[in-house]
Amino acid sequence: MTREAWVLGAASNRFGKMKESGREAASRVALEAIQMAGVEPKDIGYTFVANAFGIAERQAHVGPLINTALGIPEVPSCTIESACSSSSAALHEAFVHVAGGFHDAALVVGVEKLSHLDTLTATSYFAIGADYPFESHNGATFPGLYATIADAHMNRYGTQTEQLGSVAVKNHLNASLNPHAHFQRPITMDTYLNSPVIASPLRLYDCCPFSDGAAALVVVAAEKYPNPRTEPLVIRASARAGSIADMHDRPELTGLPASQRASQLAFQQAHVERGQVDFMEVHDCFTIAELVALEDMGFFPRGGAGKATEEGLTARDGKLPVNPSGGLKAKGHPVSATGASQVVEIFEQFNGMAGARAVPKTNIALAHNVGATGSSASVHIFGRR
Amino acid sequence: MSGVHPTHALPVEPSAAHSIQEFEHGYEEEQRLRGFRSACGFVTATWGLRCPRCGQFDLKEFSLSGKGVVAAYTVQNVPADEFVNDAPYAYVLIDLDEGGRISGWMPTVRAVGDLSIGDRVHWVASYKPGVQFEKDAGASATPGR
Repeated sequence: MTREAWVLGAASNRFGKMKESGREAASRVALEAIQMAGVEPKDIGYTFVANAFGIAERQAHVGPLINTALGIPEVPSCTIESACSSSSAALHEAFVHVAGGFHDAALVVGVEKLSHLDTLTATSYFAIGADYPFESHNGATFPGLYATIADAHMNRYGTQTEQLGSVAVKNHLNASLNPHAHFQRPITMDTYLNSPVIASPLRLYDCCPFSDGAAALVVVAAEKYPNPRTEPLVIRASARAGSIADMHDRPELTGLPASQRASQLAFQQAHVERGQVDFMEVHDCFTIAELVALEDMGFFPRGGAGKATEEGLTARDGKLPVNPSGGLKAKGHPVSATGASQVVEIFEQFNGMAGARAVPKTNIALAHNVGATGSSASVHIFGRR
Repeated sequence: MSGVHPTHALPVEPSAAHSIQEFEHGYEEEQRLRGFRSACGFVTATWGLRCPRCGQFDLKEFSLSGKGVVAAYTVQNVPADEFVNDAPYAYVLIDLDEGGRISGWMPTVRAVGDLSIGDRVHWVASYKPGVQFEKDAGASATPGR
């Protein structure tokens, strides 16, 4: 049994540095999403929480705390962990439960708070998402792991530093129009080029920030909500894939096989061609990741995404807008909130809530979210009723 | 009947006998790099029970030469926590002569111009954590970026 599932409510706080705890922020955005959807809290059948680094706040098992704060302590919950793709994995589980008929409504909440840690400690937390004995123990940080992808991509396809920079400049410009974004100011190419090298060839402005943040989604069975108060996102595809966990054991260094598989599955599920996608949110934890994602999903040929970005094709008013929210790069990357927040952006675009960052067309949109260096990936495709 | 456990004739999976700790012990104490070769030809220096490429369990253990060429690298100015006193250093991916790829680090590579993709390197045993490589004597270093 499968039935049509919608995202009927979506909310996010402003990413950056949160004063309040993760559970408080998660509960607030969850309540906002529930109220926006017009769903009674008691109608939530299951709460799927993403909070990979909750332990950094000395708090695990946060689902019951959120449900209690929402006045629905009897609702079951669980925490889904898939590194940076945790909340897109949680959305996938909510979709499976609702489309499969187990529940008529489910809540997805992603939250992370790391800003109280120093940079070295936060970097170490991120490194736990890689293979600690066989990657991190050899000195790799996450910027370092993605830097080797960039190194191989530049060597094989001639990708240029300025092409990476064009991703950063575009996404910072988009973020400057997004009240949810961590960074609210645009940057120039000179600012990018003059920023310090973190892990060659990646500079400071190639890297996403450590952000706190929370985002929530309400997923419902369409047949149970015949008169929605919002313009729902029809979940036309919810696909996940994995690949060999260690990057060095994969045959190809310039692409992520899990992204390739998840996108192929998603396009098959949705019966959508790539040319029909109006805009997308993709996983740009580093600038190179956006280029690789666009190539992995078949929107540009191998080695072609850098030039396309440089030429403005992926700008907000370009032929294929990518990351109108500012992406992980500039909107911010609160690990477990990121996947849900991509869907918040798509929801706001579909509902005329995007203000100055509105994209020209909003009929079909895609969200792509990666865990670690691509050992996990999620691709969701959304449409209109 | 209580207290009696049936026995089954399970296939022996040779790689199941090995632990992650043994890999690290190999780097530091035995001065050897453990590797596994699958029936499909896949070579890995990462712990596992079955081949990640073909799924078969007949992984054969052997000692890796530790010799190969640089497939990709980065010079990290911001270190991992265990390497905080070693930055800058290179994190490297090495294509091994016998096939397969391994990750490691190179403390002597402190700038992009100190190494190039394609340079020959070899593993050196070290008391420091991880798999440490050095450039072969006479290996070229053409600044590429």
